[in-house]
Amino acid sequence: MRISRRALLRLTLAGGIVAGGAVIFKQTEDVGFDKWLRWMARGQAARFAMGSRVALAGVPSYEADIRAAIRAIWRDAQGPDLRGARVVVKPNLVDFVAGRPCYTMPQVTGALIDFLRDEAGVRSVVAAEGVTFRRDPHAILIDTGYRDLLQQKDVEFVDLNYDDLVKIPLRGGYAKMDSLFMARTVVEADALISVPKLKTHHWTRISASLKNLFGIVPGAKYGFPKNTLHFHGIDAFVAELWDSLPTPNRFALVDGIVGSQGDGPLLGTPVASGVLIGGSDFLAVDATAARVMGFEPANIEILAFMAWAGLGQIDTHKIQLSGTPLDALRRDYEPAPQV
Amino acid sequence: MSRAPVFLRESQNADGGWGYKRGGMSFVEPTAAVMLALFRSKESDAQVQHARRFLTSLQHADGGWGVAAVDEESGWMTAWAMWALATAENEATARGQSWLLESVGIRVTDPKQVQGIQKVLKIDPRVTGWAWQPGDAAWVFPTALTLLALDALGVRDHPRAQEGIQYLLDRAIPSGGWNIGNPFMVSGTLPPTVECTALALMALHAFRVENASTGRARDYIAREDFTQTAFEWVWRALCWQKTGAPTKRAFDALARLESADGSFDGNVFTTALAVMAGLGQ
Repeated sequence: MRISRRALLRLTLAGGIVAGGAVIFKQTEDVGFDKWLRWMARGQAARFAMGSRVALAGVPSYEADIRAAIRAIWRDAQGPDLRGARVVVKPNLVDFVAGRPCYTMPQVTGALIDFLRDEAGVRSVVAAEGVTFRRDPHAILIDTGYRDLLQQKDVEFVDLNYDDLVKIPLRGGYAKMDSLFMARTVVEADALISVPKLKTHHWTRISASLKNLFGIVPGAKYGFPKNTLHFHGIDAFVAELWDSLPTPNRFALVDGIVGSQGDGPLLGTPVASGVLIGGSDFLAVDATAARVMGFEPANIEILAFMAWAGLGQIDTHKIQLSGTPLDALRRDYEPAPQV
Repeated sequence: MSRAPVFLRESQNADGGWGYKRGGMSFVEPTAAVMLALFRSKESDAQVQHARRFLTSLQHADGGWGVAAVDEESGWMTAWAMWALATAENEATARGQSWLLESVGIRVTDPKQVQGIQKVLKIDPRVTGWAWQPGDAAWVFPTALTLLALDALGVRDHPRAQEGIQYLLDRAIPSGGWNIGNPFMVSGTLPPTVECTALALMALHAFRVENASTGRARDYIAREDFTQTAFEWVWRALCWQKTGAPTKRAFDALARLESADGSFDGNVFTTALAVMAGLGQ
C-alpha cells in the first residue's frame, strides 16, 4: 500500500499531537491534567486582562510622614472603597530577634490604622497575626512595640492561632488539599490588608505580601511553625491561600523603609531601602518588591508559578507603576542562602 | 488569693469544653489543661465530669483527637486528651495510647539527605519524635507533650518513648534550652523559648533524664533577662513545680500579672497552666 505525501504529513502531525499530549498528560499526572489545563488557560487569559496598579512611595525613615505616603499609595494604586468595612490589618510579626529587622515596624501599621479610621471611613479595624515560632505572641508584641501602639490607638489584637476555626474549601487544587481551617476573624472580615516586611527568605527567596498570608493560618491546628503546610509545597500553598481566601477586599502595603537581606526570614541584616509599596494585586506588589530588591520576579519560583497560573501579574508591561520611580529605589539585596 | 480557679470554672462552655478565650470555640488543649488544673478541686467535680464526657465524645475512630469538634483529623492534641484522661484506664484510653505510639514524625534515612540536613541545620534527622500533624516532621512541643502523656499512662520503656527522649536531646540548643526544634539556622543559633524549654525539661524529668543539656536548660529558664509576660511565667511555674524546684518567684511574678477577673491575658489556657502549677490551690 502506498501512502501519499499528504497522508504521511497528516499522520506525522497527528502522531506528534498524540505524543505531545501524552507527554503533557504524564507530566501533569501529579496534579491532574484538567487542573493543569485550567491554570494554563487562566494564565494565558491573564495576558490579555487589564494590568495591575502598584504604587511606590519613597519614605526615608520611620520618623517621616508615613500617613501621607499611605494616602498617596492608596490613591495611586486605587485602593478599595472601605467605607463601613470591618478591616483586618495583618502585619508580619514572625518573631523578635534583637537587631534583626524581621518584622513590620509599628510606625507603618500605626499610620495605616490612622488612615483607615480617619480617611477611609472603615467601621472597625483589628490587628491580627498568628505568630510562627512561639506559642504566645505577647512577648513579641511587647518587644516589637506593638503592645504600646495598639493600647495607644485602642485597637484589639486578635491572635489568629487560637481564633475560632472555620473550614473553607480550597478551589485551586495547587496544594492537593480540599479544605483548610482558617481564623473566623479573617473569614468574616470585609477586607484584609497584608502589611509585610520587605525581606529575603531562605525558602521562597523573597517574603512580602503573599508569604505574609501564612500568618492567617491557625497554629492550633497546623502547629508551630505551620510546617505541615510547607510539606504541601510553600509555593502551591501560598497560591492556594491567595486563590481561596474568602475576604472580598484585599490590599498590600509593604514596609521596605528598612528591609532585610541575607539569612531571612529571621536573621537578615538591615537595608535602608526607604520605600513603601502598595496595591491590590499581591502578585504585582511582590514582583515590584522583588525588583526593588534587585531580583528578577520571573526567576522567583513562587511568583513565576502564580503568574503562569493567572493569579496576578508580574510582567512590567502589565504593571502600571506610579509614585516614586522604581529605579530610584532599587537596591541590590544580598540573597538568602538557599536551604 | 488568686482568682484563677474561679475564672476557669466560670469559663466553661455549654458543651463541657473550654476555648482559648472565654466564650470561644471549645478546643481539646484548653479543655484538657483545665481538667488537669481543676482535677483536685472537689467543687469542680461536676464540671470535670462534664468536660470528661465532652472530651471523650471527640475521640475519633482511629483512637486520636483533632483540635476541636470541627476537626476530623487526629493530631497533636491527642496527647493533651490522653494526659487528662490517663487515669480512666478504659477502652478509650487504650485506643488513644495506641494512636500515640503509632504516630511517628518524618524520619529521614537517605544518607545524602541526612548529610545535607546535618550540614545546614545541625540536627540528626534519623531520630524522630512526634509531629503536630500526621505526615509532618517532628517538633519539640508535641514530642515533649506526648512523653508527658505516655508517662501519665505508665508507658516508660517503649522504644518510641526512648526515641522521643533522644529526639529532645538532639534538638537542644548548645547554649541551653529548646525552641520549636531548630537549634540552628543557616547563619547562626536560634534562641530558645520558655514554653518549649519548660515542657522539654518536664518530659525529661518525668523519664529521669538528667545531663548537661538539662542543666543548661535549667540555667536558662532561671534567668530573668526575658520579656515579662504571663505566658513565660506560667511555663516557668509549671516546670519548677513538676521538677521539684521552688515556685515562689514565679507565683510572685504571676500575682502582679493576674487580671481582676482572675485570668492571665484573658486566656483560658494560660490561666489553666498557672493553676496546674498550683496557683490558687
